[in-house]
Amino acid sequence: MGLNKRTDLLQQGTLELLVLRLLRTGALNGWDIMQRIRVVSDEVLSITPGALYPALHRLEERGLVRAEWASSENNRQAKFYRLTPAGRKQLEAERETWERFAGAIDAILRDA
Amino acid sequence: MLGRIFRRLRALFDRGALDRELDEELRYHLEREAELHLAEGMSREEARLAALRGFGGVTRAKEECREARGVRLFEDLWQDVRYGLRTFRKKPGFTLVAVLTLALGIGANAAIFSVVNGVLLKSLPFPDPERLVALNETTESGRATAVAFPDYLDWRAGQSVFEELAARMPAGGVLTGDGEPERVTGRLVTASFFKTLGVTPAAGRFFTEGEDRPGGGRVMVLGHGLWQRRYGGDPEVVGRTVLYNGESWTVAGVMPPQFDFYGENNLNNEFFIPLGHLYDQQWMNDRDSHVVMVTARLKPGVSLEQARAQLGALAARLAEQFPASNRGEGARLSSFLDDYVGAARPALLMLMAAVGAVLLIACANVANLLLVRAAGRRKEIALRVALGAGRGRVVRQLLTESLLLALAGGATGLLFAWWGVGALLRLAPDVLPRAESISLDGRALGFTFALTLLTGVAFGVVPALQTSKADLNDAMKSGGVRGGTGGRWLRSGLVVTEVALSLVLLVGAGLLLRSFWQLMRVEPGFEARDVLTLRLRLPDAKYTDVEKSVVFLKEVKRRVEALQGVRRVSLATGFPFGRASEHGYLLEGRPEPRQPSERPDAYVQWVSPEFHQTLGIPLLAGRYIEERDAADSPPVALVDDDFVRRNFPGGSPRDALGKRVRFGGDEEPWCEIVGVVGHARQNGLDEEGRPGIYRPWTQIRPDLAAGYTRAMDLIVKTSIEPTRLVEPIRGEVQALDRDQPLGNVRTLASLVEQTIAPRRFSMTLAAVFAFVALVLGAVGLYGVLSYTVAQRAREIGIRMALGAQRKDVHRLVIAQGMALALGGVAAGVAASLALTRLMSGLLFGVSATDAPTFVLITLLLLLVALVACYLPARRASKVDPLIALRYE
Repeated sequence: MGLNKRTDLLQQGTLELLVLRLLRTGALNGWDIMQRIRVVSDEVLSITPGALYPALHRLEERGLVRAEWASSENNRQAKFYRLTPAGRKQLEAERETWERFAGAIDAILRDA
Repeated sequence: MLGRIFRRLRALFDRGALDRELDEELRYHLEREAELHLAEGMSREEARLAALRGFGGVTRAKEECREARGVRLFEDLWQDVRYGLRTFRKKPGFTLVAVLTLALGIGANAAIFSVVNGVLLKSLPFPDPERLVALNETTESGRATAVAFPDYLDWRAGQSVFEELAARMPAGGVLTGDGEPERVTGRLVTASFFKTLGVTPAAGRFFTEGEDRPGGGRVMVLGHGLWQRRYGGDPEVVGRTVLYNGESWTVAGVMPPQFDFYGENNLNNEFFIPLGHLYDQQWMNDRDSHVVMVTARLKPGVSLEQARAQLGALAARLAEQFPASNRGEGARLSSFLDDYVGAARPALLMLMAAVGAVLLIACANVANLLLVRAAGRRKEIALRVALGAGRGRVVRQLLTESLLLALAGGATGLLFAWWGVGALLRLAPDVLPRAESISLDGRALGFTFALTLLTGVAFGVVPALQTSKADLNDAMKSGGVRGGTGGRWLRSGLVVTEVALSLVLLVGAGLLLRSFWQLMRVEPGFEARDVLTLRLRLPDAKYTDVEKSVVFLKEVKRRVEALQGVRRVSLATGFPFGRASEHGYLLEGRPEPRQPSERPDAYVQWVSPEFHQTLGIPLLAGRYIEERDAADSPPVALVDDDFVRRNFPGGSPRDALGKRVRFGGDEEPWCEIVGVVGHARQNGLDEEGRPGIYRPWTQIRPDLAAGYTRAMDLIVKTSIEPTRLVEPIRGEVQALDRDQPLGNVRTLASLVEQTIAPRRFSMTLAAVFAFVALVLGAVGLYGVLSYTVAQRAREIGIRMALGAQRKDVHRLVIAQGMALALGGVAAGVAASLALTRLMSGLLFGVSATDAPTFVLITLLLLLVALVACYLPARRASKVDPLIALRYE
């Protein structure tokens, strides 16, 4: 793995946060999520499906998302993920933390 | 939560389904991607490949998904276990040696822990046992004594820290009726005894304060063992009367089955009767008679310190109030468990340390074996690393293997321990308090399991880290048997440690051995061989006056003297290693100390003529006690040379002759010293003891004579095996009195042996463990050298090709091995000097740094090391240069 451990972890956390955010509006399958990530952050974060799927499984294991099989738009069976109440709470918490952090950074940068 | 558990379980048991689901999920993704690429105008095959490329490692993603679900850990573990078992099957020799080594170490630990647990750790079978304490009085010199009964009463009345206090005295007598007459030992106890301990009766009730007074009724509580044995556990026995010492006693109740109170195999706890029967005795109310033992229960929340402070204050007040008897006396309070088993603690801790060291040596040995084996596996491991196994993964696999070894060792060790505990239990009753609570119980099993896991990590972690460093390039290039230099240092270090630990154990065992040898050389001052002793306890009801007892005893003596194989017979109120009572004495013309309690003590025994000849105690001056010393003749006494040494410093035994000595107050007569005999040790070979004074049994004060003559010891010197006379003697005694049992039938030699049994016990075990350590250490040294020789075969071959002689090669290997051994010995001697000091309390007649022991042990160890080096050296010198060079 080319990245060192720290950025790796950072990226993993960011990715999970991003996934939670994308699921806030409803159930999505893995491919859908990947398409949306490309739209929002292709430039900044180099996220591959190889990283996304393990992240989804980790979130499921932690009980933040729930998965079920359903028909997708082209009538094929796909695995859809949706937020659990715990996932929703986690997202809120993470967002607050992030906003506080970003606010602090912002303040520092303004003063300087 | 439930969903998660369900998923986990499914992950464990239905791996196939989950994997299929995962495949399905990823396939969907890849197909959608490919469709996008198709739309961009790629060919079907191009689109598929592009989708795969864009995905970024499908296999790896699958792995990570599995890992995310916590499946990996189990799968890996299972894989590692199977792999480990396979490698063990391929190397049965290595596996056997490793498992046996570990089994020895773990088994020894499990066995000794069972003993330590049973004796020192297991809580006593009473509610809140940690609140129970033992109380003693102390003399001016700080020696703990029994408690004077009036002092006990004052403590009980004046204290506020105890919930309850209880006093007790030993009791013993004969049960008759209901079958064979039987000698039983029990206790006279206050009614508060049962409440203090917090026991509840298994049947019936305990006795009350009202019954615990003079004339308060003859009520008895049976011990559970006696109840089962003699009365078949019949609950109907409650309320019935039994004949104890010829008198009727009503059975009030039965003690519970678990009752662990200063028992020797729970003798001494066969029955309980009210101490109150003695309250009107004059000596019971005398503050100079220290006769009762006291146990108390602290109130909840009261600390030992608080109780100690109050008890000290109470004792100080008594000393002030009754200076004649109590001046200088203090009180001592110790936890019940401490008081009960404290004496066994140093030896047990020493043994625990010894088995700990044995286990460390075993670990070092197995670690060395693993390192050697790892060197042979470097290729395999380097390959696994190259194929993508992380270092952590390799370490985990190697650790799994060592845990497997440890578990096999632990299981085998438990078998050893099971056998060992059985063997220890056969030895323990004579040696250890609470022997009946020793077993391989749940706690011991838990300890063994934890120890096994710890052991597996301890010997596995270093080799695992060392091995996983394997570098593929290096490993593939070299011939495969050569290990890194780091490994060599590590192996040498382990061997040095092993040798050092073995030396410490050997020195410790050697010191104990020397102590024992010194003890065996002690002259006890009497001849213990071919002497049988037994007690005649005559029931009060039948032997109402002294005359009756005396007639009976004299007739027994006469009849036993006439038996085949009997050389001499004598009667006494005690004998060396049997029992002795201490009395303060006063020599005529010497200043009387301010209080009676400051008089010097002597062991006083009332004996029949021929007592000293029976026991082979030599006469040094004057005469022995003779028939002419009758009740109405002038009072006489014999003293021993220890008495002479203390009272006539620098004088000869003759100086004591004609002097007069007295026990007790003015009412006692002055007795003329008519003879001086050799000093006989009374309590133990390792105890000089007090001076001995002997008086004719015919001259016992009339008011005491009834009591003394009802419990006399018969001492028989035989010309045949003494135990062969037990039945003939019983026949003679019961021909005179059908209901008279023989009590305390022992050979004198066995009584002496009993006092050295604890030392023999710890010495034997220490020697066994030291021997095991020596063997393991030697095996370790041998193993490392053998390996080095194999490793250096090529080098040795070259040397020999270049003209080195066999003996040079020989010397080379031996020098290497002995360098390790010497390093270990040096470290071991240093460690021993520091550690043996801790066991000085266990030694006798030898110092903790005894030079001969250290020298001898060091030589022994070096000799064994030399043998361990010799075999590999011989092999090295047989190396054929041609073969060695062709080998690579």
